[in-house]
Amino acid sequence: MTHKPSTLLSDTYAVVQPRRAGRYALGLAVISVPLVLAVLGPVFAGAPGARAASFTPGDGHWFGTDFVGRDVWRQVLLGGRPVALTALAATALAYLVALPVGLIGALTHRRWLEETLLRPLDVLLAVPSLLLILLVASVLTPDAVGLALLVALVNVPDAARIVRAAAADAAARPAVEALRMQGETWWRTAVGYVGRSILRTLAADAGTRLTGVLYLVATAAFLGVGVAPDAADWAVMVDRNRTGLFVQPWAVVVPALLIVALTTGSNLLFDAALHKPGRRRGERKPRL
Amino acid sequence: MTERNDTTAPTGACTDAGPAPVAEIRDLRVEIDGRAIVDGVHLRALPGKVTALVGASGSGKTTTGLALLGAYPSGARVTGDVRVAADGPAGYVPQHPASVLNPARRVSALLNDIARTQVRDLPRHERRAAARKRILQALSDAQLPHAEALLRRYPHQLSGGQQQRVVLAQALLLGARVIVADEPTTGQDALTKSRIVDQLAALAARGIAVVLLSHDLDVVHALADEVLVMRAGRVVESGPVQRLWLAPRHEWTRQLLDTRPSSTGHEPPSDTGRPVLRVRHLTARHRDGAHGPTVVLRTPELALHPGESLAVVGRSGSGKTTLARCLAGLHRDHDGQVHLDGTPLPRSVRQRSRAQLAAVQYVFQDARAAFDEHRPVLDQVARTAVRLRGLDHESAVQEALATLTGLGLPPEATHRLPSELSGGELQRAALARALLARPRVLICDEITSGLDTVTRRGILDALTDLLRDRADVSLMLITHDLESARLAHRIAVLEAGELVEQGPAHRILTEPRHPFTVSLMETTARLEAKTGA
Repeated sequence: MTHKPSTLLSDTYAVVQPRRAGRYALGLAVISVPLVLAVLGPVFAGAPGARAASFTPGDGHWFGTDFVGRDVWRQVLLGGRPVALTALAATALAYLVALPVGLIGALTHRRWLEETLLRPLDVLLAVPSLLLILLVASVLTPDAVGLALLVALVNVPDAARIVRAAAADAAARPAVEALRMQGETWWRTAVGYVGRSILRTLAADAGTRLTGVLYLVATAAFLGVGVAPDAADWAVMVDRNRTGLFVQPWAVVVPALLIVALTTGSNLLFDAALHKPGRRRGERKPRL
Repeated sequence: MTERNDTTAPTGACTDAGPAPVAEIRDLRVEIDGRAIVDGVHLRALPGKVTALVGASGSGKTTTGLALLGAYPSGARVTGDVRVAADGPAGYVPQHPASVLNPARRVSALLNDIARTQVRDLPRHERRAAARKRILQALSDAQLPHAEALLRRYPHQLSGGQQQRVVLAQALLLGARVIVADEPTTGQDALTKSRIVDQLAALAARGIAVVLLSHDLDVVHALADEVLVMRAGRVVESGPVQRLWLAPRHEWTRQLLDTRPSSTGHEPPSDTGRPVLRVRHLTARHRDGAHGPTVVLRTPELALHPGESLAVVGRSGSGKTTLARCLAGLHRDHDGQVHLDGTPLPRSVRQRSRAQLAAVQYVFQDARAAFDEHRPVLDQVARTAVRLRGLDHESAVQEALATLTGLGLPPEATHRLPSELSGGELQRAALARALLARPRVLICDEITSGLDTVTRRGILDALTDLLRDRADVSLMLITHDLESARLAHRIAVLEAGELVEQGPAHRILTEPRHPFTVSLMETTARLEAKTGA
């Protein structure tokens, strides 16, 4: 018996490059819909029309009306900016703190420094995030900026832990010791090498974190923290219009799809950017 | 670890006299992206014989070996004919056996998984005992004594050699008639090596065909019956081992077999004045969790003089790497002093000044892991001169390029990423990176282990040239390989963390005093005697 020459896989091997370009295009296409709506939506929203009955499909409204009878399409146009801004800002802020803390924790050989940096965060981790937000909100009544800060704070502990765990792995490699033998600066070692090595893990984490943040903002809004409970906000829309899901699904489906597009698109873009050509694991020749 | 027994061979197919091959490869060609990594290879594995594939790394040995298991690199285009005997699969003992043993399961469970399927047809109450009997038989065939105690352990509680034999036992339990052993002795000291040779010889004696993939020529010569010399995916020469060794026909074979160590070519420095590096009362510890700190190294006194080269020899686990890392400041957990020109060096590399960093440089065993995989090699090498000698980027790159090409790296290769360079090229680049600091002491930690003969000789020659050209550099060569140690002026022998003997190289090599050194020399001599070299 002979091996049949397998041409199937060698063909796919040759199309790695076009495939990468395709990934970029797909990611861009998916993410551009919610981003364009978020940025340009308010310009095209126009004046508010008269309120109709709650949860009625059609009747001059593209996607029907929402729980208080407003036009869903107009709410979608208006609701992107606060969501995208709050969520993106909160995620970015969380990493702004988590990255240095995690990298210092991973690269230092002083146990006390690592403990001082990361133990307090563990305490924060033990408190349920929503409880913490409600506690602070009952004292301070934060606005949108305050909410972004709060959500970021809640996300710092686990982001820092993930950064530290991923970085500790990279920091134990001989490459880091070699950099130290070269007298390399902390910045180049930590950010240039360790940070670069853990980029893939961070990108994956950032994608899921963005989704988590979006829904934390939505839940907070639902409870009246940071965002008005009837605000034009995709996340709030999903929450408030749930009651009419079977009567007028568009009021939930459209904003939910946009949020999904935002996170999926960013994940696809990260993947495309970090894709290593010619290194596709887990793909084996089928047994002949 | 074992694969495919779906291609059956008609046993009478072979026209030659003698036993039928249990595995055969005919005209194998494996191609990736239009580039052939194996081309036109014929191989016959006869029962009870050892067939060796030798060649430099990247010559297609492993691809050929894995073809016997029916495994090919992803995206490969394969043509040719691979046959394996019908009555047993091919077993594979990889270079790193730990990677194929499930770390979460005991050895007994790993073997029982295989044995259980073989006793299905027995009555239920007999199965357990029968499986047990098979397992014990396989373990004793794989030469693993104390089987009872061993079965209760997890793979990580075994030594590398024991792991290797457990994988072997798995293959034997499956009834493998062909065993492919991939670099079984790479990175092992002489004593371990000779044990592996005995073990594979015993395997062949039981009528199993062994396919040995190795660049360790001593082992090949001691074991193999048939040798295939590979280069760039092609078999350039094949034949019985004696013929090949005595009268190699191909130029490449001659080059590969020319194992004579290059001599240092210069006399040790006559002045025994102030040592450049001096170690006093060094006690190094390892912290491993539950047991608290364990002392792994005790060195009362060790000195390195300017222009001198010192080889530190010992088995794996003898503490030689720890010694080197203490000197380089990479192992902080030690007592005692390391003096550079009479002034104590800070224990940690982080506390050393630039001048101190530049003075003591360290070359890592695993060059691939010691380079940043995202940046071109030239940039990384040049940074040494920028950081440690204050050169500007331009002149640092110029000097790096000169050093790299001086060490035999093609100029176009220096602009590539580390993953695009071969192991030998990367090790040269790592040497260049250390040399750019203009070090007074250069510590080379097993930099030639895991390289094939030709590449190793190239690196050792580069080191010899370096010692000749830069009279002020002292070299510390950490090695388990006495061949490489011959380069040095002095040899220090470590065993179980103790410095058991040190002295001039010729004295240690010709009249060792300590029993351990004697046994190390004898094993090497025995390996060489088997090869008749």
